Amino acid sequence: MEPVIQGLTLVFDPFNIALVFGGVLIGVTVGALPGLSSPMAVALLLPFTITLDPVPAICMMAALYCAGTFGGSITAILINAPGAPPAAATALDGYPMAKRGEAGRALGLAAVSSVLGGVFSLIIFLFAAPLLAKLALKFRPPEYFALTVFALSMLASISGKSSLRNLIAGAFGVLIGTAGIHLTTGVERFTFGIYELTEGVSFVPVLIGLFAIGELLGQSQVLNVAYERITSIVIKLPSREDFRRVRWTILRSSGIGTFIGILPAEGATVAAIMGYNEAKRWSKNKEEFGHGALEGIAGPEAANNAATGGAMVPTLALGIPGSATTAIILAALIMHGFRPGPYLMQETPHFIYAIFGAMLVANFMFLGIGLGGAKVFSRITLIPRQLLWPAVFVFSMVGAYSFASSVFDIWVMFISGVVGFLMKRHGFGPAPLVMGLILGKLVEESLSQSMIMFDNNWFRFFESPIVVFFFLITATGLLWPLIGPRVRRLLGRKNGPT
Amino acid sequence: MDQPGPNAENGREDAQASSLINRTDLGLTIIILIGCGFLYWVTTGFEIVADLFAQDVPPEFFPRLLIWTIVILTLALPFEHLFLGEKGKSLNKDRAHRIKPMAGITALLLFGVIVSILWLGTALSMFFVCLALPVLWGERRIKVIVPYAIILPMAVTVLFSYVLGVHFETGVFGITLR
Repeated sequence: MEPVIQGLTLVFDPFNIALVFGGVLIGVTVGALPGLSSPMAVALLLPFTITLDPVPAICMMAALYCAGTFGGSITAILINAPGAPPAAATALDGYPMAKRGEAGRALGLAAVSSVLGGVFSLIIFLFAAPLLAKLALKFRPPEYFALTVFALSMLASISGKSSLRNLIAGAFGVLIGTAGIHLTTGVERFTFGIYELTEGVSFVPVLIGLFAIGELLGQSQVLNVAYERITSIVIKLPSREDFRRVRWTILRSSGIGTFIGILPAEGATVAAIMGYNEAKRWSKNKEEFGHGALEGIAGPEAANNAATGGAMVPTLALGIPGSATTAIILAALIMHGFRPGPYLMQETPHFIYAIFGAMLVANFMFLGIGLGGAKVFSRITLIPRQLLWPAVFVFSMVGAYSFASSVFDIWVMFISGVVGFLMKRHGFGPAPLVMGLILGKLVEESLSQSMIMFDNNWFRFFESPIVVFFFLITATGLLWPLIGPRVRRLLGRKNGPT
Repeated sequence: MDQPGPNAENGREDAQASSLINRTDLGLTIIILIGCGFLYWVTTGFEIVADLFAQDVPPEFFPRLLIWTIVILTLALPFEHLFLGEKGKSLNKDRAHRIKPMAGITALLLFGVIVSILWLGTALSMFFVCLALPVLWGERRIKVIVPYAIILPMAVTVLFSYVLGVHFETGVFGITLR
């Protein structure tokens, strides 16, 4: 109980509360702006937080993560332009509702569903993270290797158009992570005689480049997009009747979102799509979907916000990121000198509870900010792209530079941005690459240690039942797109809703 | 030169989807394989260490394992559309349009700004990008651009210098707001 009180005391420090509030404000703003995403915002926030103590730094990022996921729903409902990918499903029913003059009702429902989803997942986080960490304490390098391989294989099903491309991007990310001095032998790898690369490729400029500069180049091609705007908004909290109608949808989607979030690499976007599909599948009013169904808003909103708390579970308990944003939070933890994983939970439990507290507070803050300021947030899309994106570049440049006061890092950011832009064009998302980059060191370390333990005998991996379990689910996951339809046919099941 | 119209692009998408090999992905595969070949060649130049010292895991082992993984996965790329829904039409749709020149010009401008940081200093480079990028992207309201280009870099420099203690490049003009 003591670590819980200690952690919550840390959160309620006025300075930390102010930072959480700042994180929520930035999160809702960024979430509401089409093109800007929470991974990008968290990546840009990283250099700011390096000078802070770890607790306020991570709490601010966690708050931004929660609020950014909700922020996307504001513009999804009001202008049919999801500010962030997880809100795409919300637009399907939110915008039709807004068009028929019920924008306030839709926004109110989205906010309440998000908060309930978020709180549900945090309660699970509170209990699941210590349990998972306890289990992970039994993991030796082979089990860790199998777990990271499983996490990387999950990239195949991360939101995107192609599983194959996600896997290639993930492997490429791991490969980038091998640059620098090899820990065991001290041999320089992929440094090309560049001194700055001897310590490896720094996370910060790569993250900023992929998420911010890549998007900036993409935005330069769509400068004249105009949005149809709903202006008359009177925010309404859901009535008792509305709430009664969606309560099971919220509960179900919260469960789905939390579960999807806990799975390594899966994030809020996948959760929202599944939340929407399940809401439709269970609804008695299927014909209303796409025309402004309440369940069509409550389902994805509860699921995508539940995924944020869920994604924190493997991130903190195992050191395996649950989503692109938590991958950046993981990088921040590493930069602050922590080694995320079971030992973090064992040695500094109050830290985990502080993050839990910050996310809980953030959920209620964005309810207030979102409901009170929806009108203002809908207007931020009026900021011309011509002024918004140069500001993003300035913050990216200074952010990349300030981490090590090195112009080389600005080059890394720029090159990552161009590569990210070209990759995105060909269906390779930045998220798998980031996951690979951050997991890279852990994969190599655990593989090397396992090989030493096993005297270079690969077959000895299969002596551990945990390893076999992870390898089996990895293989099933990878082969599922090929065998899945046949299995479904064999079982004689009809296809689910799309 | 005439840009292909939407119908021509749709036709190209359909042709790509119905053929056994996606030609765009074939090109991509070749580029990735060349890259992998280069990186593999680089691994042959890694310093050789004794097995005992490397504990049977030489420094090139893991990168090579990854390169092979990428190669194997990449070889499936030209045929991937056959397994995707609607034969990968959605994948081709995103790249059916050529990259607009504005993206290239923007990248060049940013490149120029980064090149000039050591010479101009960070503050002036930020001023330049805040002035040039909006103009390049079609903003013509001088009354908006000029204050924007002055206030934003100043605010960012002051924030990072004073609050976060970052030391910026001052450039040959020695401009610093600290």
